[in-house]
Amino acid sequence: MIRVAYRELRRMLMKPRYPIILTLGVAFSFIFFATMTEEGQPQELPVGVVDLDGTYLSRRLCHELDATPAVHVKAVFQNHTEARQAMQRGEVFAFYEIPAGTYNEVLQFRSPHFVLYTNQSYLLAGSLSYRQLATMGKLAAGAVQREVLRKKGVDEAKIMGLIQPIALETHPVGNATGNYQVYLMTTLIPGIIALMAMLHTAYVIGRERQERTVRNWMRKAGGDALKAFLGKMAPYTFHYTGLLVVAEIIMYGPMHFPMGGSWLLLALLSLLLVVAAQCAGCFLMGCIPDPSVAMSLTSAYGTLAFTMCGFSFPVDAMPLAMQAFSLMFPLRHYFLAMRDVTLFGNGLGVCWPQVATLVAFGLLLLVGAWMFNRQYERGTAC
Amino acid sequence: MLKRVTVILRDIWDVLAAEVRRVFSDKTTIVIFFLATVVYPPLYYYIYHLEALHEMPVAVVDLSHSDASKRFVHKLDATPELTVAYRCASMAEAGRLLSDHNVKAVFLLPRDYGACLAQDKTAHVTCFCDISSFIYYKNALMGGSDVMLDEMHCIELQHQSTEGVTGEQAEVQVQPIAYDDVKLFNPTGGYASYFIPALLLLVVHQTLFFGICVLCGDANENRRALRLIPPHLRRRSIHRVTLGRLLCFLLIYFPIALFDLWIMPRLFGLPQLGSIADILLFLLPFIVATACFAMTFGNLFSRQRMSTLLCGLFFSVILFFLSGLVWPQSNMPRFWLALSYLFPSTPGIQGFVRISSMGATLAEVRGEYLALWIQAAAYFATACLSLRMIKLFKRK
Repeated sequence: MIRVAYRELRRMLMKPRYPIILTLGVAFSFIFFATMTEEGQPQELPVGVVDLDGTYLSRRLCHELDATPAVHVKAVFQNHTEARQAMQRGEVFAFYEIPAGTYNEVLQFRSPHFVLYTNQSYLLAGSLSYRQLATMGKLAAGAVQREVLRKKGVDEAKIMGLIQPIALETHPVGNATGNYQVYLMTTLIPGIIALMAMLHTAYVIGRERQERTVRNWMRKAGGDALKAFLGKMAPYTFHYTGLLVVAEIIMYGPMHFPMGGSWLLLALLSLLLVVAAQCAGCFLMGCIPDPSVAMSLTSAYGTLAFTMCGFSFPVDAMPLAMQAFSLMFPLRHYFLAMRDVTLFGNGLGVCWPQVATLVAFGLLLLVGAWMFNRQYERGTAC
Repeated sequence: MLKRVTVILRDIWDVLAAEVRRVFSDKTTIVIFFLATVVYPPLYYYIYHLEALHEMPVAVVDLSHSDASKRFVHKLDATPELTVAYRCASMAEAGRLLSDHNVKAVFLLPRDYGACLAQDKTAHVTCFCDISSFIYYKNALMGGSDVMLDEMHCIELQHQSTEGVTGEQAEVQVQPIAYDDVKLFNPTGGYASYFIPALLLLVVHQTLFFGICVLCGDANENRRALRLIPPHLRRRSIHRVTLGRLLCFLLIYFPIALFDLWIMPRLFGLPQLGSIADILLFLLPFIVATACFAMTFGNLFSRQRMSTLLCGLFFSVILFFLSGLVWPQSNMPRFWLALSYLFPSTPGIQGFVRISSMGATLAEVRGEYLALWIQAAAYFATACLSLRMIKLFKRK
């Protein structure tokens, strides 16, 4: 096995093009997500106002809206059509329509109706701007109520309790500010590295078939396909686990991502993720004799992992068959266990099922090696 | 003159025919072009078709045991987003449930909840929630605030009635300015309606890109790249080769794109407001730009059949984020925004989502449309140049 690993290391260093490109790819992805989502949550989202009222009240609402950090009033429109078109052009994510005569109606106690339009085709931007605009609507109503209560002579201390009898405070566990960067990077970066580890392992096995060097490779392993596969995987296991651990050190260290649990457990999970992904790659490569077809199927399986790990759309909301299907993706198990360790500070006591499942991916390697061995003995492995 | 045109057409036809043969004789391109584009859309639709998470389990810690707090808990249970799965005696118990993932959120009603309401003070409800998926957070927030608003409304009406104000007058006092909210284009805020149109476009983009790169890699690897160019076209007429190949990919991909981007969304019942004419007109430059971009990349960088898949697959995730559908374009750093317009997927996704989901016309996506045509022209030129570079390289 060590001889195979040594042979692979030499092959890798003789033609270092792909390891270098892929390492740069990891660095690029890291920098990309780190700089792209630097704000944590999108700030100053462009919104609009259709001001048909044109009074002191409507203008003040515009100003107050503009003064909040979450949104900024990009345009004041003359009519509804203009605003809708701006939304279709992607210039604003939401707009308020303030009907004519609003101020008069407020003065006459006739409860005017604003209409708040949000574009839900952009889920994040749409719901964030909705939240801000809806809050402003509440505040505007609250301001009027306060004035009325003051005029009635209600005690200033009591007014707040009358206007807002209940307050709801939300505390997301582990990620108190709802930082989007933490949420994205902690899953996507390991996902990208696992994808690369899987493809790279599959690729080098495929190359042996294409270059018709399988015999030489198997001879080094003493004719044992399992040893041949393990030796082949080893250099990449080190390479990609190393990359992942470095990425995690940067994220949970200098970038101050929440880290409630044990570093050692996280490192173990990273190792298991990389190995499990490699095993899946070996399985597909071992079973399918045509290396290019195997490689494209590995790619298809690899890209699905980002969906099936359930970090964007939770697995509990998927149909039952898909919930079962999600178990076939190492990233899913890593994601569950990583959340336990970093956000909840749990230990092995809670996340052992995930660790065990990741270890069980080793079975795929056994099957893959067995299939490969059969092809080799028949002489169809090239 | 006529003879010249016939010669040109004949050359293009020869290249086209040869390329079609090449596509259909390669198992890998068949898998990528025809299998992936047929399997992915229904699979993704099936994954997302429930649209949202309903009845998310939550735990409630009601320390107040008052009428008001019980009403709050009942209302929480009645929201479509949440279901009260556990009623706990202490925060420690609920915390354990949260950390063991039996519930996704915990609502804590403090001991003085009922007393505060009775004394006209603000009562504070606290919600702790799991944020490993933003949907959990969103559900807890939406369900919680809906109940809070409803309760506030009831309590304020009670206040008014104790003061002798009832009926419409009380309503106006409680809500001097009302607002209606209209969620446009995706009224339920569903995930499938948001995600799938963009995803389908990305599937078309990526399969076309990787398929062409496999073909180019195959030609480069087996030193057939030069042989595939008919000898009499190698000098000044090299653009006819690119044009012939482009036509081949257009012929194959127009039906595929139409199937994925027009028929599939219809079958799935996703919002589709755009007209077929607009979609067709929009897809033309998109496919041309993508094919030419892929040919340029493939000619220059695909040394082996599988190398682009190996090195380029992770970029699918990045392309999705560059498209501005998740992280809005208005908040992207300038550099990434500029970079994103190098890839046909960015104007493609932006334009297609607006036409298809938001009912925009071509005039309203003219920026994206223009960008696609510019890309198409530029990448056609680079595709020709890159072929020429293969030729020069080989001659050395």
